[in-house]
Amino acid sequence: MTPRPPVRINAPALVLRVMANILQGPKILLTKVANGQIESSVGVTVGAVCVVMAPVLFISAAADFWNRGDDGVELLILGLVVGLIGLAVLGVSRFPSGLPVARLFVAFVAGAFASLIVATAAHYFSSAVTSLDVAVAEAASTVSGTNASVIQAETLSLGITLFRSLGQWLSAAAIIVVVVRIMPHLGVGGLDADGGVVTRSARRLAPKSGSTMIRLLALYAALTGVLLVAYGVAGMSFVESLVHAFTTISSGGFSTRSGSIGAFGSVAIEWIAICGMVIAGTSLPLIFRALQQKDMSRFGRSVEFRAYVGLIVAAVVTTLAWSSQWPNESNVREAVFSVVSAISTTGFYSSELRSTAYGAESILLILMLIGGMSASVAGGFKVIRLMVLGKYIRRELRRSIHPAMVEKIHLGRSSIGDVAMSRIIGELFLAIMIILPMAMLFSADGLNFKAAFSFAISSLSNVGFAFGLDRTDQHLQALGAIGHIAAAMMMMIGRISATPVFVALGGIGEPAQREIRRLRLRRKQKVIR
Amino acid sequence: MRKLAITPVRVSGAALIAVAVAMLLSAIVALVDGGGGAIGLLLSALIAASLGATLFFGSRVSPSADSALAFASVAWSWLAVSLVGAIPFLLTGVITWGRFDDAIFESISGFTCTGSTIFSDFSVIPQGVLFYRSLTQWLGGMGLVVLAVAVLPALGIGGLELIASEAPGPTADRLSLRVRDTARRLWILYGAATSVVAVALFVVGMSAFDAVTHAFTTVATGGFSPHADSIAHFDSFLIEIVIIGGMLYAGANFSIHWRALKEGPGAYGRVSEVRWYLWLIFGCFGLLVWINNGELGWFENVRESLFYAASLGSNTGFGSSNYVLWMPAAHVALLLLMLVGGMSGSTAGGMKVLRLQVIVRYSLRELRRARHPNAVIPIRLGRTTIEEQVAAKVVGFVLLYLGLIVAGGITLTGLGVEPVTAFSGAISAVGNVGPALGEAGPTSNFLSFPRSGRLILMVLMALGRLEVFPAMLMLVASIRGVGQIRRRAANHDFKAG
Repeated sequence: MTPRPPVRINAPALVLRVMANILQGPKILLTKVANGQIESSVGVTVGAVCVVMAPVLFISAAADFWNRGDDGVELLILGLVVGLIGLAVLGVSRFPSGLPVARLFVAFVAGAFASLIVATAAHYFSSAVTSLDVAVAEAASTVSGTNASVIQAETLSLGITLFRSLGQWLSAAAIIVVVVRIMPHLGVGGLDADGGVVTRSARRLAPKSGSTMIRLLALYAALTGVLLVAYGVAGMSFVESLVHAFTTISSGGFSTRSGSIGAFGSVAIEWIAICGMVIAGTSLPLIFRALQQKDMSRFGRSVEFRAYVGLIVAAVVTTLAWSSQWPNESNVREAVFSVVSAISTTGFYSSELRSTAYGAESILLILMLIGGMSASVAGGFKVIRLMVLGKYIRRELRRSIHPAMVEKIHLGRSSIGDVAMSRIIGELFLAIMIILPMAMLFSADGLNFKAAFSFAISSLSNVGFAFGLDRTDQHLQALGAIGHIAAAMMMMIGRISATPVFVALGGIGEPAQREIRRLRLRRKQKVIR
Repeated sequence: MRKLAITPVRVSGAALIAVAVAMLLSAIVALVDGGGGAIGLLLSALIAASLGATLFFGSRVSPSADSALAFASVAWSWLAVSLVGAIPFLLTGVITWGRFDDAIFESISGFTCTGSTIFSDFSVIPQGVLFYRSLTQWLGGMGLVVLAVAVLPALGIGGLELIASEAPGPTADRLSLRVRDTARRLWILYGAATSVVAVALFVVGMSAFDAVTHAFTTVATGGFSPHADSIAHFDSFLIEIVIIGGMLYAGANFSIHWRALKEGPGAYGRVSEVRWYLWLIFGCFGLLVWINNGELGWFENVRESLFYAASLGSNTGFGSSNYVLWMPAAHVALLLLMLVGGMSGSTAGGMKVLRLQVIVRYSLRELRRARHPNAVIPIRLGRTTIEEQVAAKVVGFVLLYLGLIVAGGITLTGLGVEPVTAFSGAISAVGNVGPALGEAGPTSNFLSFPRSGRLILMVLMALGRLEVFPAMLMLVASIRGVGQIRRRAANHDFKAG
């Protein structure tokens, strides 16, 4: 008998298997429980979100009990209520056999807003928040991964701190799920607005999209682990390392201290945060492939990654050139930190940006608008879309010289179709149409012009910090109740993209529109008769 | 003597001769007034005329005439006129030779109908120079194109491309089968509108000089005033009403005005762009009244809000008070007006209402397409369906326009300008508005920008007036033209050899 070859345990494969087993649980639960009478994609999504949020609340409650905080009981009760509601909703709902795109949009948006409601309740019933509008704003910051807050981080209980950071981490994980499982079906807005380039590449990671999702989530979890260790080694306590690992890799930006990363006064921590933020803004499928094939040249071959790094380098050099001081290690680090924080839409800050040169301020604002790479967890418009727009402008300029010219837009080896092009442009114009009235609303609600505009951009891109006030994180605090709600909506729209939100809202008004159309038609017919 | 076959040179020459005439008229005004500056203006007219004549008579029209060449002709003539147009400011001594760039700034601001100024003390400037300043805007308003179109038959190149490149906006409606007739009708309408505004201003209490200069800059949507505090100097509600009417009229499409004259006011109602234009201005007016409620008295509020909604909505840039002191929310509304500007085919600058319509429809179409992925949804403006290629061109323009503002704003902030002033300054310059926000409000001047910053603003003003694409075509056609001249010279040498 030939001896069996020894079984080699491959660490990444083991992580993948563990992740697959972990994710099998909720999947089985969903298929078993979601077997009700009503065919409703919204019901299934909302129920699933509640069921996923309940354990987060339990973990946070446990941490708070262990730390003898004030919010343990509230979080536990809320966890129970949310879990039960989730199970009940799932129990009566069933995933529809056929799902039109419009319904998928509504389900997607409903899921995001369900998580907002749960997070609002968690904040509202905790000791940290006293009013509902503040709770909504804080919840939106948590769910959308924005570092905008009214609360002093030090005053929060451990339970709420953990809930907030875990919330940011989970919302970014949800983005991965959306990229792989939902966006290919939606085909608009969000991360698929590059014409499907990203989702196509993400789908190619494995034959089944479920396997791709597990791989990307495993990578996400592994990177969080690496950051946890790195922060710990650099001198943070375990809880602080955990919170910052969660909020760095998810490009969320919440911190345990009100001075953000700068409050630690550690050069090592700042550099770790910089690396973490750069990774958070990088495409996860790209990282996965490079690590899987141990081929780092993949990064160099990616046109989008080259543009992403190029933007960071150019912004740092320009910021330093426009600063009034001669560059030293401290200045360079500060510039790199701010630039990376803005482009990855994390929102950490290492120092007060009050003394930043005007030129650097405008560069940071533009970087916030651009955001990270596609298929990353970062917010913003995305580097790939910017590149496509650049190519589009070039084509139109050339067309003005050669009107009969037919030219296809190429990005690397991918060709961007006209429909995808229109989606990108539509998304940009929608974003502009949102920023202008919101800036007006913020300025009417107490911010000065500069602060209002920069905060509108910052909240839509899920960054958090802005300019124009004494402190970089003071904007949400300076707003009133209407401003808080508006900022929360901006953050949510920024996270789930403008197109899905508007399409879902359009769905609400569709019956009314149909009636109006019918009335007009009847009137026309009468006139003809 | 063998003449060079370069169309842009010949067109530039013609434009310079027209500017020389304007300088001569201003010299006459200076002589009548007796306040000085006549010799400087006469000398300038002489220089401009001799330079223009040399260029005009020293060149001939290229045998090949394409749209790129037509665009290049307009762009080069703009450049020539803006540079030569600065000479009167230097020769009359109102700007010293050491600040020659400021003279060019004032000239570009005039010919592009921007209305941004570097002057702070208007009492020391001779009336002739102030008249010349207003005249530069009037000439720039309809564009020297109409003048050029009048001589185009002599030049021998088609004129409609030229009108399309000159008349701001995506379209230039044919009012007649013959381009010369179209130009003539627009010219008549422009002149008539100026006369009506001048007479109305005179009737409501302005002096003849003020009435004429303000009529020039109102109908041209320029915004230069012979007074530092602009229209606020008169503190007259009636004058403001006349100016508001003039600005609203000049900010609308002149082709539609002509049609309205022929077919009655119903012609306005048939155009969706007119509705959007009025909705935008009066919507922002309502918004301004609401925002300023409690900050200003009700009459003052209505009066100032209406004035600025019309002034910035038509991109004229006249001032009746200091809006910088208004609530920040009002500034966002003002910025929106500056960004969009007037209608296509008007003398106003900005992105144009028609383009706003297209991009709004475009975005809504994408939302509907997201909901119904297989639907074929055309972009409609009123009863007209916009072709995809035209929509693509409009979108390309808007993206480039916004990109230009962002690039300009970033560069200005890099030079140390406060971001609100920098970005609003960039919007104002590209949209040919005049005043901006922050330190460059309606009661201050553009000396608040550093010297290099003013240089950037000049480029933005010129690009904004030429609507970016012709500026690029100017470069392309020029490079192509230089190549052709070289090839011809090489052939000539070869044959001679």
